[in-house]
Amino acid sequence: MPTSANPFPLRSSFYHSFCILVCHSAVQLMPIRVLSLPVANLQYVLECVDTCELIAFSLCSKRTKNLVTASKRTIHSPTAYVFENHVHFVIREYTFPQDFNFELLRQSFKFHFYDKRAELDGRCEVWKKQEFTQKDWIAHFLKIFHQSTIHTLGIMNTSLSYLDTIKQFFPRCHRLFISADCSKELTKIAFFKLFPIAEKVEFMKNIFDDENDISKFLTQNFKSLSFKDHKNPLKLTLDNLLVLNITDLTIDVANIREKELNRFLKLWMKGNHTFYRPKVIKLSLEDEIEINCEEVFKGIKYEDVQYDEDDFPTFRLMRGDGKEIQVFIADNYIDFEVV
Amino acid sequence: MSSTEQGTSSAAPAEPTTAPESAAAPEVPESFYYVHGKDKVVHKVSAGALQHSALIHGMISNLGYTEEQAKANPFPFENIDGDILQMVVDWCNQHKGKPTPPEDTNLPKQKEKLFDLVLAVNYLEIKELLTYCCKQVAMMVKGKSPEEIREIWMIPTDAEDEAAEKEAKKRAGKEAAGETAAAAGDAK
Repeated sequence: MPTSANPFPLRSSFYHSFCILVCHSAVQLMPIRVLSLPVANLQYVLECVDTCELIAFSLCSKRTKNLVTASKRTIHSPTAYVFENHVHFVIREYTFPQDFNFELLRQSFKFHFYDKRAELDGRCEVWKKQEFTQKDWIAHFLKIFHQSTIHTLGIMNTSLSYLDTIKQFFPRCHRLFISADCSKELTKIAFFKLFPIAEKVEFMKNIFDDENDISKFLTQNFKSLSFKDHKNPLKLTLDNLLVLNITDLTIDVANIREKELNRFLKLWMKGNHTFYRPKVIKLSLEDEIEINCEEVFKGIKYEDVQYDEDDFPTFRLMRGDGKEIQVFIADNYIDFEVV
Repeated sequence: MSSTEQGTSSAAPAEPTTAPESAAAPEVPESFYYVHGKDKVVHKVSAGALQHSALIHGMISNLGYTEEQAKANPFPFENIDGDILQMVVDWCNQHKGKPTPPEDTNLPKQKEKLFDLVLAVNYLEIKELLTYCCKQVAMMVKGKSPEEIREIWMIPTDAEDEAAEKEAKKRAGKEAAGETAAAAGDAK
């Protein structure tokens, strides 16, 4: 009987698949007891493993989790975006190239956490862990990379009921980002539920109207608040600026008149020895508006400190108690910085 | 004891045939040493090749053997399989007097021996080969899922770890009890 190299001549694609399977399983047949290697060698092996595989290794057992935790691999700016029924988690790995004095992004990994499974973006791969809830996935990732807080928590289009659960997932975050996809109601509730865990808050939608007064947001005691909505400018008044209790406020786009900015500066100048918490206020007005410097500084003694003729105007205002505020104006943008 | 004169292949000539660095420098004959593994097969290796191994290099420096003494007293590495030692010797000969390039094509390919090779290379303190071997071990799991990694790296489950720990404790307890009984018997 003649022999053929291909036992399935009529089904060559099947034969090809079969060969691939055999080759693949051949790799599986050469296992290595990696945990029996000398400690230093095992540590070096783990150093050589890519971050994604290191995470996969950490999921194998308690022992491997501890090994990865001890390996002191670091990640940067872990970010979580919360969707309707899952969390999209992004981790980044930076490198210090030789002759550079700054870090460069080496690679980033994106995971979608569901209960019992994690999906890897771009690898069409699903990691299953029956006993893991979304909270467990997040806690595991933060634990192995020694992160007690995440950099950014993004609230995308999710349900109100899910927000309480989210608060349990993330004890702290540097930046809370509330997407433009969220409804007014969700944005408002997400802010009040989650701002205590964040250092900075960013809104991507103007939710303020007669029913939702902006003052409630501006009087909160925290570090940084940013509103960004180019479609619906945020109406701002002198009273809003006077009740402000946030160190760093950015509004893009704000709707305020020069007259009110002028009154604000006059009141600040008169307020000797009074406490005013804000240090930086950055306002971008609508594109077609060009801020009139004369209107803003009418009746106010100031010093022009424009450093270069080509620079935009910068002004210094000194108060009786020695406090100083610098005002920078560029077309439709105005920036107050208490020095 | 059988003996083969390894390390004198074309890849690593036994006698220095290359021109000396300086025409004025006198030609120093290369010295050779002998090693054997578990299989007792003796490998002849030049001192230059053995410099890759910090362990053997240290032994040579301390002993100050003559050629005859070295031949009569091969370094025994009873904890290393013969074929593994052969791989290590071949690698040392191929890289005699030169650093390993980042992509080394002359390195041992037998992945099934990788674990024993790492242990041997670690014992012999051959830093460059050890680095390469560890990288190979790391490469085995590239693009793999937790379950695949568990299989490839033979990682026990938590339940298996717990059972092994219990067993080890039980064994240690028995041994301690045995020692106590023996000590009591001696005292009597």
